[in-house]
Amino acid sequence: MLDAFGVYHPRRTPLHLLPPWVKLIGLALSAVAIFILRGPTWTLVGLVASLAVLASTLPPPRPTLRGLWPIALLTVLMGGYQWFRGDRAGAAEFAADFLAVACLALALTTSTRLDDAVSLLSRAFRPLRHRISPDSVGLVFALTARAIPEITTILGDSADAARARGLAKSPQATLVPAAVRTFGWALGVGEAITARGLADDPEPDSDGETPEDTRGNVEYPRRRPA
Amino acid sequence: MIEFRNASVVAASSDAVLLAPTTLALSERRVSVIGANGSGKSTLVRLVNGLAMPTTGSVLVNGRDTRRQASSVRHDVGFLFTDPSSQLIMPTAIEDVALSLRRTIRDKGARTTAALTALDEIGLAGHSHVSVHSLSGGQRQLLALAGVLAVNPSILVADEPTTLLDLRWRAHVDALLDALPVQVIEVTHDLDAAERADRTLFLDGGKVVFDGKPSRAVALYRDLMSSRAEGRADA
Ligand SMILES: Nc1ncnc2c1ncn2[C@@H]1O[C@H](COP(=O)(O)OP(=O)(O)OP(=O)(O)O)[C@@H](O)[C@H]1O
Ligand SMILES: [Mg+2]
Repeated sequence: MLDAFGVYHPRRTPLHLLPPWVKLIGLALSAVAIFILRGPTWTLVGLVASLAVLASTLPPPRPTLRGLWPIALLTVLMGGYQWFRGDRAGAAEFAADFLAVACLALALTTSTRLDDAVSLLSRAFRPLRHRISPDSVGLVFALTARAIPEITTILGDSADAARARGLAKSPQATLVPAAVRTFGWALGVGEAITARGLADDPEPDSDGETPEDTRGNVEYPRRRPA
Repeated sequence: MIEFRNASVVAASSDAVLLAPTTLALSERRVSVIGANGSGKSTLVRLVNGLAMPTTGSVLVNGRDTRRQASSVRHDVGFLFTDPSSQLIMPTAIEDVALSLRRTIRDKGARTTAALTALDEIGLAGHSHVSVHSLSGGQRQLLALAGVLAVNPSILVADEPTTLLDLRWRAHVDALLDALPVQVIEVTHDLDAAERADRTLFLDGGKVVFDGKPSRAVALYRDLMSSRAEGRADA
């Protein structure tokens, strides 16, 4: 479904060549600027510029257009809410600003290896290492990126299942199983993270042995596959 | 070498005994674990890498207590789940294997090279930069295995690793597991695979009811299942 949406695509565009930290700081500054600069002109400039930046990373067109749908929907919902509260100009501006920042974030993820972004975040948080593990910050970032397509897939499957049971009109028939499956998926991921040792400190155990000494003493010969 | 010393597991919420006190020493190269749904197979194997802790008794891996040295035990024991999609975290194959290596290889270039080697060994080198979402179920399970093997565990625990795979992928994963130069503990409902082990544990109702020759364990298991099926038909 969301196959390649928001995922790194190896290309040689200017944005791909920029170091990840420049892009990350650029994204943060642009987001602040987009929301601070008010008025229709600035809003339009921000939106057009952001779309241009996204286009400059040459994202695969089909998955990107398909992937922009949920973001567009979210934009309409949030804009609609403000519209409903009576702030029409504000609603339009907010929606445009939100869409612009989403496009910039997408430009960042399609032009940056997640591994680089994780390393960058790990480094950025190193000064706080006595309070939070820098690696875990990177891991949380990776997991968030991983959860979005997973949850979208689960929502799609649940909607299909609800439709198959003739319950297309009932939001609960989609949302309840989707929530249960998302929870189950999250539990499984948590377990896998533990099993892969990703939640452990990189320091050796208190017994001070290096990983090499901890191997079992039994050597098994390699069997040829049948 | 895996040792269970009177290890039992009691559910925290309901006091139900999930695994009765068990004492075992597993040193065979291939150990299979069989039994009906809910018989305690996963509970037993999760003790081996410290995913679960025994309520009483202890579990030792290469002389290390899973409770006191959990992190170093996990380093020694890789764990392969049934569903690879919960095991895979990063968006592309190579990044996911590199993630496993983060703790052991700090240098990024060396990490990427090692990840590529791991993918190559399992036959996924051609898919290293492909989105994990676009891999087939079988390829994802291979990728999960590559991530586990990249850190050179001496023991691999696999909880029904082929249950979700079609026949072709099942044969492929079986052959790969078979050729691994590490000890493999495999939970399986595939009785042919179970019989190829050197030793089989047969669980029922949270107890190891048979421990020994695979062909004998499988025969006993078949008997038990068919007698239960008849019981159900009579009732
Ligand atoms: N936290 C828990 N609290 C209570 N009961 C539990 C808990 N976790 C598992 N169980 C129960 O423990 C029993 C053994 O579970 P286990 O997952 O080990 O079985 P299994 O042999 O792996 O089964 P399957 O073939 O279905 O995977 C099951 O009846 C299960 O419902
Ligand atoms: Mg199980």
